Amino acid sequence: MKVLLVEDNERVSRFVVKGLREAGHAVDHVENGQDGLFLATTETYDAIIMDRMLPGDLDGLGIIENLRGTGNRTPILILSALSSVDERIKGLRAGGDDYLTKPFAFGELLARLDALVRRIHGDDVGATHLAVGDLQMDLRSRKVSRGARAIALQPREFQLLEYLMRHVGQVVTRTMLLENVWDYHFDPQTNIVDVHISNLRQKIESQGETPLVKTVRGAGYMMTAEG
Amino acid sequence: MLTRLTRSSALTLAIFYVLLGVVSLALFAFPLWYAWQVTIEDGRIELIKEDVQRFSEVFDRRGDEGLADFINQRVSLQIAGERILLMADPRQKPMAGNLSAFPAEIPSAPGVYTLNMTLSGHPTRVVLERAALPGGYTLLVGRDLTHLSPLETRFWEGLAGSITIVIGVGLFGGWLVRRAVLSGIDNVNRGVAAIVHGDLSHRLPVGGRGGEFDMLSITINRLFDQIEQLVHGVRDVSNSIAHDLRTPLAELRSRLEEIVVTRPSGEEVYDEVAAAVEDVDRVIGIFNALLRLAEIDTGTRRAGFVEIDPADLAAKAADFYRPAAELKSISLDFRAETGLGKISGDPLLLSQAVFNLLDNAVKFTPAGGHILVEATQGEIAVADDGPGIPGDEKQHVTERFYRGDSSRGTTPGVGLGLTLVSAITSLHGGRLDLSDNHPGLKARMILGGSAS
Repeated sequence: MKVLLVEDNERVSRFVVKGLREAGHAVDHVENGQDGLFLATTETYDAIIMDRMLPGDLDGLGIIENLRGTGNRTPILILSALSSVDERIKGLRAGGDDYLTKPFAFGELLARLDALVRRIHGDDVGATHLAVGDLQMDLRSRKVSRGARAIALQPREFQLLEYLMRHVGQVVTRTMLLENVWDYHFDPQTNIVDVHISNLRQKIESQGETPLVKTVRGAGYMMTAEG
Repeated sequence: MLTRLTRSSALTLAIFYVLLGVVSLALFAFPLWYAWQVTIEDGRIELIKEDVQRFSEVFDRRGDEGLADFINQRVSLQIAGERILLMADPRQKPMAGNLSAFPAEIPSAPGVYTLNMTLSGHPTRVVLERAALPGGYTLLVGRDLTHLSPLETRFWEGLAGSITIVIGVGLFGGWLVRRAVLSGIDNVNRGVAAIVHGDLSHRLPVGGRGGEFDMLSITINRLFDQIEQLVHGVRDVSNSIAHDLRTPLAELRSRLEEIVVTRPSGEEVYDEVAAAVEDVDRVIGIFNALLRLAEIDTGTRRAGFVEIDPADLAAKAADFYRPAAELKSISLDFRAETGLGKISGDPLLLSQAVFNLLDNAVKFTPAGGHILVEATQGEIAVADDGPGIPGDEKQHVTERFYRGDSSRGTTPGVGLGLTLVSAITSLHGGRLDLSDNHPGLKARMILGGSAS
C-alpha cells in the first residue's frame, strides 16, 4: 500500500520509513504541516501516519480537520507523545481513525495500519458467517465448530475468536485485542491477554489439528489457515 | 530601631488605645462639669434671691435710710459674699453699696440676669438680680461666676491627673504588648528563617498555654511537617526512580556491551537486541506509570467522568483476570450486592485500579488460594488469602516505589501499583482501605461520589 508519513522527528521517521518499505509499502515522507496537507490533497494514499506536533502553523490535528472538511476519507493513524486519554479522544474527534502513543513498537504501528486499511475497505462487516480453514463461526447462532467438532466458548472467548478471524492473515497486537475485545484503552502491564489466547488455543486446536493462531514475536498474534 | 518603632503596629495600637482612653474620659467629664456648672449657678441665684428677700424686709421695716445703712455696714465689714451690691434712688443714683456708679449693661426691667460686665476694669461674668423696691428705689445684688471655687479647681486637677495616668498606663501597656508581640513574631521569624536555610527538622517552640501565638506556632509547625514530608517524599521518590531505573538500564548496558565485545552471529544479535528492547520497554513502563500518577494527582481527569455500573466493571475485570488466576490454581470469584446504584467515575482508571489489586492478589496468593472480588454499595473490594501485609507496612505500601521487605527482590514489580490505586480512589473522592482478611489481604476501594 501507499502511505504518507507526516513526522518531523528525524529518528522516528527514518525508522518508520525503513520499516514500512521493508514490509513492502511505498512511503512518502514530509516534515511539516503545509507539505503534509499539500501531498494529502494532491495524491491518493491508502493511509496517512500523522504526528500531532509539527513545526509551522499547521499541526497534525489541523491537517486532519482540513482533510475531513473537504471530504477526504483516507484512514489516518495519529502518532503522538501526548499519551493521556483526553488527548487520545481529542485526536479521534478531530477525525483520526486510530491513535498510537510514542514511544511505540514498530510491530504495533504496522499491525494497526494494516487493520485500519482493511477496516476502511470493509470486506466482511455484514457477514453472518466466518471461516478460517476448517474453523467455522456462525455469528447469528453464535456457534463455533472445527470440522465436525462443536466448540463451546465463553462469551469473551467468542469475541476474541471473532476478532482474530475477522483479521485473518493480519498481525493483531495485544493492545489491539485489549482495545477491541475488552474495550480497555490502556496498557495493563500484564501478560493476561497471552493467557486468554492460550486458553482459546486449547479449545480450537485439539491434538492433531493444525494450529490456527500463530505468535508473532515482538508484535502479537496472527490467525492463518496455513498453520 | 526608630523606624522599627514607628512602623511597629503594636505601638500604633497602643497610641490608638491611649487616644480612645482620653476621649472617653473627656466624654465622661464634660457632662459632669456642665451639670456642675448649672448647679453652681442655680445655687448662686438662690443665694441672691435670699439676699434680695432679706434687703426688702430691712427696707420695709426701716425705710430707705435704714437699708442704705445696712448695706454700707455689710460692705464695710466685708462680710458680703456679693460681688455686686447696689442700692439706687429713683433716679438711679447710687445710695449705698460697692459700686460707684450704676452699671450701664443692666437691663432696665427687674429680673435675674447672667451677663458679662466690666468690674474694676476686669471683664467678669456675673449672675445678678435687679429688684424694684417700693418708692422707685432699685436694688442690684449679683455674684461673680468667673472665680472657681476650690472644689472646681480640684475637679480640673483631678481630670488632668486622670488623663496623665491614662496616657502613661496606655503607653506602658502598649510597650508591653509590643514587646510580647515582637518576641512572638521574632520566634516565628527565626523558625521560618531556619527552615529557609535548610534545617527542615526545626520547629517553633510551643508554650503550651494555648494562646494565639501557640496556635500560630502549631499551625506553622504543621505546615513545616508537610513541607518536610513532601521534601523527603520527593527525595525518596527520586532515589527510588534512580534506583529502580538503574537495574534495567544496567542490564541493557551489559547486554549491548556484550554484543560489542563478543561480536556474536547475526541471529544471536537480533535476539539480544529484541531482549534489549524489552529492557527499554520496562523503563518506559515505569515512566508511563509515573506520568499517569501525575496526571491523576492533578485531578484533571475528573473531566472524563461518566456514569458507570461498578458491579459490571468489577465483574469484567474479574473475568479478565480469571484465566491468570486459574493458571496458578487460584480460584477467583465475583460477588455483587443486588441493586447497586451507578457511580460517577472514569471507567478506564477504575478498571486499572481493580487490575492492580487483582495483579497483586494473583502475584502473592499461593497455589490453591482464593481471591474474591466484591462489589457493594460505593465500594469495590479484592480479598485474598495470601500472606497479606504486616500491620506496620500497610501505611507505607501506597507510597511511590515502596515495596514490602518480603516482595523486594523476589516478586517482579516496581512498587507503583497500590500508589496508583490510592491515587485513583482519591480522584473519585474516596480512599483505599487495606485490612487483614485473616489470613490474607482485603483491599477496599471506597468510592466517594455516587452519580445520582
